[in-house]
Amino acid sequence: MTEVTLLGRRAVREVFRLPEATVPTLFIPLFFLAVNIGQVSKTFPSSTPFLHGQGYVGFQLPVSLMFAVCTATSGLALVTEIDLGYFDKLLVAPIRRSSIIFGRLGADLVRGLGTSTLVLLVGLALGARIHSGVPGAVVLIIMTALWGVAYAGIGLLVALRTRNVQATNASFLVFFPLLFLTPNFVPFDRLTPLMEALARANPVSYVIEGVRSLVLEGWVPGKLAICAGVIAATGLLLTWLSVRAIEGYDG
Amino acid sequence: MAKVPTLNASPQPVTPTASPELPDARPHAIEVRGLTRTFKGGIEAVRGIDLDVRTGEIFGFLGPNGAGKTTTVRMLSTLLPPTAGTARVAGIDVLADPAEVRRRIGVALQEIGLDPIQTGRELLELQCGLYGMGEAQARARAQELLELVGLTEAADRRTKTYSGGMKRRLDLASALVHSPPVLFLDEPTTGLDPASRLTVWEEVRRIKGAGTTVLLTTQYLEEADHLCDRIAIIDAGRIVAEGTPASLKARIGHDVVSVSLDGADPEAIRHTLGTLPALERMVQEPGELLLYLDNGPALIPEIVRRLDREHISVGAISVARPSLDDVFLQATGRRLEGAEEEP
Repeated sequence: MTEVTLLGRRAVREVFRLPEATVPTLFIPLFFLAVNIGQVSKTFPSSTPFLHGQGYVGFQLPVSLMFAVCTATSGLALVTEIDLGYFDKLLVAPIRRSSIIFGRLGADLVRGLGTSTLVLLVGLALGARIHSGVPGAVVLIIMTALWGVAYAGIGLLVALRTRNVQATNASFLVFFPLLFLTPNFVPFDRLTPLMEALARANPVSYVIEGVRSLVLEGWVPGKLAICAGVIAATGLLLTWLSVRAIEGYDG
Repeated sequence: MAKVPTLNASPQPVTPTASPELPDARPHAIEVRGLTRTFKGGIEAVRGIDLDVRTGEIFGFLGPNGAGKTTTVRMLSTLLPPTAGTARVAGIDVLADPAEVRRRIGVALQEIGLDPIQTGRELLELQCGLYGMGEAQARARAQELLELVGLTEAADRRTKTYSGGMKRRLDLASALVHSPPVLFLDEPTTGLDPASRLTVWEEVRRIKGAGTTVLLTTQYLEEADHLCDRIAIIDAGRIVAEGTPASLKARIGHDVVSVSLDGADPEAIRHTLGTLPALERMVQEPGELLLYLDNGPALIPEIVRRLDREHISVGAISVARPSLDDVFLQATGRRLEGAEEEP
């Protein structure tokens, strides 16, 4: 069995044994989903062109999915391990240091699949319909989970660079500007020029747009390709930076 | 760390030599030359130490907190790159081939490295897997180690429920999964109760019996004295003495007579006893005066006579052979004992 599998299995076990680390991360997406729908549904009825005949829940669901998977949970687990000294134990084992990162990311994938499925089910219960059908729902869950894996690199990077629990926890805050400088409430063309420019420069916008297209429009290859590209590029960059940080980590 | 005032002595380094006792043909498991580590801000934690640890021995690294023990272990176990110098562990250069060094060493660091979410068994099985064992082999080895360190009953409990002694034993077991030829133990008994400490000592002796070379750091004199074949005393990043516990104490060469002051004036005693024959020096400690001299037992009557003549009333007078603390005192000018319980 490879070291990545072993470390991944351990990290996944941690997800199930520490539900208190995951459950709170579901509160914010579900809270925002309920509140936003409650506040804006009447303003944007299903006849609104950008809703493609759905209620506003379909438009908001991708934003909540982003919220559900963008956490610093892995970074926090890693920095706790550094704090406890177990990280040193792993560093002196004859393994590639990168496997510690990949093991953690494996757990992020499992966590992301679980939380995005749950948020999707809540969205469906609130009236959302997936225009691309069941296959689209599966792709939506996978893309969301993969975005969570890509985003986890921020927490891991901060954990390795700072070795500080508070700083790692605070890295979660990075997501607020990333999420709110997007077409999260209305499409690009309804934003003010400045906000639109910022949103178009923000890669998270394209992840939301891609996932949203599966819900509202069906299969839109262009949007999905850009979404997949952003996820891959972000994942590769942040994972590469995390691997670099762990390779150069001096105990 | 309070400096103990000395009345007539300045620190006298006990000349460190690579192998001060009988020549030993065994190859060195650890060879260190000029090892140095300077941290940011110019803090010199380890200042050019030389060290030879023979295969199969328990080598103790004795020193107070902040002396450079842990930094040395972290460099030798590839966790921290040296600023200068060379080190070979199990025949491999730690800088040239750290991955190969890791295959040949076991490490139990001062901070017990356990994952609190896993059970003891899971932790050991994972560790076995990381050293390349298959699932069946890992299961068998983990069970073997659990039995060895007496944790079979607690094996399926999460490690966060373990006592300090149990955690230390599990940590030790996890360092042994691959039967490494060289084992590093960084303060393996710090914070343990006396019973757990003895258990760890027994385990370390058993490990040595299996042919493993053990380098352990400690701030406990008793531990160094009873457990180690040879020791190096480290202070402020430098090795100030090295040898077997017996040879180091023998180098002091005299007895230590302790005069309990019991309210008496130490200056008056110093004046009265300062002309004793073969007196090398006197050191004032809180509540007592220590006289370093040859043939201490024979001089007790003379000491009593002189004090009586001057009508100086003291508490107990006792004589002892030099301890490692005396060696530390001679080499550094201060005592290790008492400094070791710093927070």
